[in-house]
Amino acid sequence: MNTLRNHMWLESRLFEDKMSQPARGILGVLVSFIMFYVLWWVFMDVRGIMKWYTPQYGYMYIRWILIVAIWQAYIFNFWPFSLEWRESKHPLVTGGTLILVNFAVVGIVIWGFFYNFLGKFSIPYLSVDQLEGLGMTRFYAREYSSLAILMFAAIASWLSPIVPVCFGNHPWQGMKQPARGITVFMVTFFMSVMFFFCLMHPHYHVLFWPFQEYAAAYPWWYDFAHTLHGNYNVGWVMCGTVAIWLLELTFDRYPFRLIRNKILRGVVGFVGVWAFAMLLFYMFNFVQDLSWGPAVDGAKRIYAPDWRYLHSGELAIMALIPAMILNFYFDNGPKKYSPAVNIAIRLAIIAVATCVFHFLYYKFSPGLLGTQAGYSHPQQFPMAPGILFICTMLFHNWFMDFWPGKKRTGNREVELDEEGEEIGVQ
Amino acid sequence: MAVNRRDFLKGLAVGGTTGYFAMAGLSSTILKDTFLPNEPVGDVEIGEVKSIKCTVVSETSWFNNKVLVGDMMKAGGLLVNQYIIPWTHKGVAEGYNGDNSGGYCTLIDVEFLDGTKKKILFDCGWNTAWMDTCLQREGVDKMLEKDQIDLFYITHEHFDHYWGVESVLKHCNDMPIAVPKGFYQEGYDLLCNKGHWEVPGVKNDYPAKGQVTTRESGKVHKIFPGVASITFDSSIITRVKGEQALIFNIKDKGLAIVTGCCHMGIISLLQEVRHRVKGGEKIYAIQGGLHISPFEDWDPQYDDLILAIPKYGIEVMGCNHCTGYSTAEKMIKAGLPVVQGTARFKSKKKLYLGNGDQIVFG
Repeated sequence: MNTLRNHMWLESRLFEDKMSQPARGILGVLVSFIMFYVLWWVFMDVRGIMKWYTPQYGYMYIRWILIVAIWQAYIFNFWPFSLEWRESKHPLVTGGTLILVNFAVVGIVIWGFFYNFLGKFSIPYLSVDQLEGLGMTRFYAREYSSLAILMFAAIASWLSPIVPVCFGNHPWQGMKQPARGITVFMVTFFMSVMFFFCLMHPHYHVLFWPFQEYAAAYPWWYDFAHTLHGNYNVGWVMCGTVAIWLLELTFDRYPFRLIRNKILRGVVGFVGVWAFAMLLFYMFNFVQDLSWGPAVDGAKRIYAPDWRYLHSGELAIMALIPAMILNFYFDNGPKKYSPAVNIAIRLAIIAVATCVFHFLYYKFSPGLLGTQAGYSHPQQFPMAPGILFICTMLFHNWFMDFWPGKKRTGNREVELDEEGEEIGVQ
Repeated sequence: MAVNRRDFLKGLAVGGTTGYFAMAGLSSTILKDTFLPNEPVGDVEIGEVKSIKCTVVSETSWFNNKVLVGDMMKAGGLLVNQYIIPWTHKGVAEGYNGDNSGGYCTLIDVEFLDGTKKKILFDCGWNTAWMDTCLQREGVDKMLEKDQIDLFYITHEHFDHYWGVESVLKHCNDMPIAVPKGFYQEGYDLLCNKGHWEVPGVKNDYPAKGQVTTRESGKVHKIFPGVASITFDSSIITRVKGEQALIFNIKDKGLAIVTGCCHMGIISLLQEVRHRVKGGEKIYAIQGGLHISPFEDWDPQYDDLILAIPKYGIEVMGCNHCTGYSTAEKMIKAGLPVVQGTARFKSKKKLYLGNGDQIVFG
């Protein structure tokens, strides 16, 4: 018999609050923000040490940190670490260890798998050295390859959570780790590669001159998107990533959780998430049209159709941050009404918080984060700091059990039936 | 599937509401013309000129792309303040005496309807040794000494357009000067206060004494009859902010726009002129840097641009500098009216107007 602990350890955790609200919530946000700021300063900030925010090169690492964290906690249930180790060690030890493992895996994936394997033996745009060897300036070689490599992670961070969130890991819910993790990883990675070749590879048809017409399809979205740039797909895939996490965090998987058949729930959930993502995407596009006027074909910056699409993704990320803060640090309130009313109130809170966050970000990020002033400069790329902050909140939750605001006191010992449902729970 | 009726109805209500807003959202996007205002038509009358002649004093802002980009990357990336970057001034084989820096500068001769003439010096380059040579080659040094330059117009604060200011002011420092809003204190110090920076290698020992006008964005600034300026508050690499461009209304031809780098984007510039200047529906010519592939980099957004430009009906494109040779090649292949140059005085290719080349509008 499978247990919730073995199936999805995170969901089995029991916590004791170490302080009351709002102090606990504020402290939690502060801890995550300090972790974020230290990482940003060391690795990203142009005034800091590594200066990777160029922006795509740094953003590539950030996207891979996110997907590897999802693999660690959601897909592999912390394997190869034992749950006993996870439960017995201090949150600072588990947090530090798991973050270091995360960074190591990211390094191996990027430098080993992409730069020195796929980039060398299959597609040159996945390797900085290969592009530079073809005569490209190193900076642009790095930016172009980074965009491609990070898009694998972006697509994966949309598709990977669908298996646990929508399908409940079905039909592999009964498998033990690492077999289940590897299976889900292989399936979602395969899907991600398929989507990459349809959504992003055509971007590289036109990125190089002469056009790579024998190697990649012409961007099929041009006629209706009015841009050849892959940002059209980047934007809605980002909205997809946000949609799946809003379903998990804000909607408590409602209404899809009402469907008991997991395959059907998964299929409906996948389509529903995609539809929700497109709604977010076009809604944010329209908000921009209303704010700045319509996009203009061929224009740069805020009037560029491709930047508008990208910014829709950025706005979605800005909405996810307050959704996560509400869920992680302020008990995902309210909870006392019906699910639909709870969700509606949460969405209203998130909408207001998104507007506030948007204003604060563009006002303070040049001074605080060393980004370029203004909305649309290529060096003003809020997805990078936004997703890094999301990563540190995930670290704080998944790897550190919200220390020090909360203390994990144990785990619910719930048995699951063959369908992966909690026995006795309707 | 085991859903009780109550939950099912709730789900249906939530799904229905979400679906409604989804459709409304999509419809709103599709029908946005209904919600958004019509495109404005320019109404600012700037007058007319008979003709203008642009002489490319220097369009080669730097001589080696990799060295320039490498300088910025070593200093921390494209966002780093230009005044703290140790630019390479030695050992570049294709540079000017080993110095990678060159500069951008154009001389504009304006002939008015009554036959009178004025001269505008449009930017002043970067490397003073290089600029001294270029200004002398085109006779601009003598024009400055004879007070024949009526306006010294600085498009933006970028090193390659502005840091050669000493080469100009040492010949004449009391002419009127125009800068865009967005100049940093360093920029004003270089212009007026003997600014001197060791690390980037820039200084000016000849402070400006003429009137310095800072022009704001959001309106058309009339300069001479038939000549106007327009400013954009663009954020630009190396922490620069703001850029301005000149508009000339050529009698019987239409508007000609002269740009420095066009960081605001050529389409945004064309749109803004259309929306603000009377006669903006007919943009006859554009001249200068179009900032498309300055480092011979590429982005599919630039293909969008090349596909969109024909809709504006431009008859002459005298582009150069940060337009990039890759762009010129693609534009020519797309049938755009790019004027080709002679590839002299260290300009590398004939694909567009180079150093010492001239073009007349009107």
